[in-house]
Amino acid sequence: MARQTVRRAPEADLYKQSVARLITETSAREDPVLTRILFQYLGWAAFWLVVGTLAGGIVALKFRFPDFLDLPFLSFGRLRAIHTNTVFWGWTSLAMMGLALYAVPRASKTELYSVKLAKIALWLWNVMVLMGTLALASGINNGNQEYREYVWPLALLFAASLLLHVINFYNTIARRKMKEIYISNWYILSAFLWTLVLATIAYLPWYQRGLGQTIIQGYYMHQGVGMWFTPTVVGLTYYFLPLFLNRPIYSYALGVLGFWTQLVFYTIIGTHHFIFSPIPWLLQTIAIVFSVGMMVPVWAGTGNFLLTMKGIGGLIRRSYSLPFILVGVISYGLASTQGTLEAFRTANLTWHFTNFTVGHAHFTMYGFVAFLIWGGIYGLLPRLTGKEPPVKAVGVHFWMSTVGMAIYVASLSVGGTLQGLLWSAQKPFLESVVAMAPHWLWRAVGGMLMILGHLVFAYNLYHMRPAARSTVEARSGREQ
Amino acid sequence: MNFHTNPRLLYLTSLLIFVALSLAIAIYPAIEASKVPPAPGLEPLSPSAQRGREIYVAEGCSYCHTQQVRPLPQDQIFGRPSAPGDFAYSTPQLLGTERTGPDLANVGNRQPSSTWHLIHLYNPRAVVRESIMPAYWWYFQRKDQAGPGEVVVPVPDAWKPKGKVVVATPDALALVDYLLALKQPAVSAPSTGAGK
Repeated sequence: MARQTVRRAPEADLYKQSVARLITETSAREDPVLTRILFQYLGWAAFWLVVGTLAGGIVALKFRFPDFLDLPFLSFGRLRAIHTNTVFWGWTSLAMMGLALYAVPRASKTELYSVKLAKIALWLWNVMVLMGTLALASGINNGNQEYREYVWPLALLFAASLLLHVINFYNTIARRKMKEIYISNWYILSAFLWTLVLATIAYLPWYQRGLGQTIIQGYYMHQGVGMWFTPTVVGLTYYFLPLFLNRPIYSYALGVLGFWTQLVFYTIIGTHHFIFSPIPWLLQTIAIVFSVGMMVPVWAGTGNFLLTMKGIGGLIRRSYSLPFILVGVISYGLASTQGTLEAFRTANLTWHFTNFTVGHAHFTMYGFVAFLIWGGIYGLLPRLTGKEPPVKAVGVHFWMSTVGMAIYVASLSVGGTLQGLLWSAQKPFLESVVAMAPHWLWRAVGGMLMILGHLVFAYNLYHMRPAARSTVEARSGREQ
Repeated sequence: MNFHTNPRLLYLTSLLIFVALSLAIAIYPAIEASKVPPAPGLEPLSPSAQRGREIYVAEGCSYCHTQQVRPLPQDQIFGRPSAPGDFAYSTPQLLGTERTGPDLANVGNRQPSSTWHLIHLYNPRAVVRESIMPAYWWYFQRKDQAGPGEVVVPVPDAWKPKGKVVVATPDALALVDYLLALKQPAVSAPSTGAGK
């Protein structure tokens, strides 16, 4: 109501200059070169998604059948790291980078600074994931430090690739053909910068002896998610949602608020992964307090997206992308709130060290991040290539992933709670292992549904592929 | 000067805030924690135990086994609460974030039998029927007869090939050396373990 009667000048102006024209411009123009590079990123991302979640599926089965595939390179301790690193770096990161290569220039109404840099960055990254996977399978890792298991020479590839993206995006944004830097690009380029710093801090050895390394580990494992996946995918959503809905983001100012509070609050709460550990009590308390502060950027983002989507009920049933985006946005709010609650000492009494945390990790990385990525892909690719995926197959992917995730998160949340209660009751440890058996089986069932969904996604992606180079050239030749 | 229109200002500011916060919340405390002296009575690992620790890391044992005892009643079965000085020789750190299996901070005192550990590593279900730990059979050899000086592992017949003996490789022995070396030094007074 207020929006109709009172004209809120700054927001309305920003919207006019950026989003409205950006939408018309984007839909009017296809760029075959950019589309092909985007598709290369997405194709490799889908490949690593299938590899990474197959590894996860085997790991899940080993909880019930410990002697299943008991070969050294497929043993639990090696395969778990392959699963986490492949879905983090192979799938999620490459998909986000590909989408960013499209979103950053389009939200600047200009061309990408260099397609060549984007190609080099892709191959540096792919070599890293491939070599990293082989090394982990051979038992070569960076000291079991979660999500930085790739050894340091591979971290150089990681940093080099990120640096190329930073150069590419900064120069693209500097050459934008509009006055303002659109909010999606605040998040995206900053996330690349932060992660470059993060990787550097994670791999320099001088301050990482004994418990000192534990402090860096808490910082790293939290920022790897909170300053890389979260801001990049939130930034992408600030671009995709207005584009797909053909309406402005509900509040530009909330986006700005979310950006600065994300930066300040997320950065300092890593130690909440080590509550009740011998890390200084003060650091733990700071982490808990600002885990509550984390609710500000989370609900600024979630609320902003939900309010932007208000009243699209009819559209959702006819859209490929909006159901994914809706699940992604709701998961963002709920899973992050769950994360804040888990930081409290009282919650740690029951849930720390249990499988509850594993459920939470999948709720965030899958329900939130992966679903928003899928929403972006299904919304964007058909526009660019003119090729629609099979409608039913998109539905199958959506429901397999959604139901699979629900089963996964529910079973581990219930089972994890049970583990914690048994420990608190000071029962023999083995009782918690035995009690988990049915929950681990359900988790494997949920996981299998997710994996099947990913195969369908790969099939859909193939259907949305851009025309071969020669066809494009022939067509553009005719147009000239 | 405006964040909305000046990319250099915007990205430099966001970068510098991140670096400053990281220095304060991670690097400075890590430098301090890296300087904590060993707890009184804590011994550095022997070369063989050190080799065992490398295998422990290579096989990703710390994804299921923590090495930190919390000051909570439910952790008392694992040992006394961990202190900063306990980790002076522990790089890479292996405190862990998940307990699919029991905590190992003090396993050398809780389960001091090397024979038990060898059977358990060869196949955990040979000693703990409900265990879901992987069998690390590739650190053992199955032979018709043990050679001189070789350590024969008394694996129950049901869990090994018929007519064979199971012999521990040096890597298996090193891993057990490491597990047996995981002993929390006793603390005389309630202290943080820092200083002597």
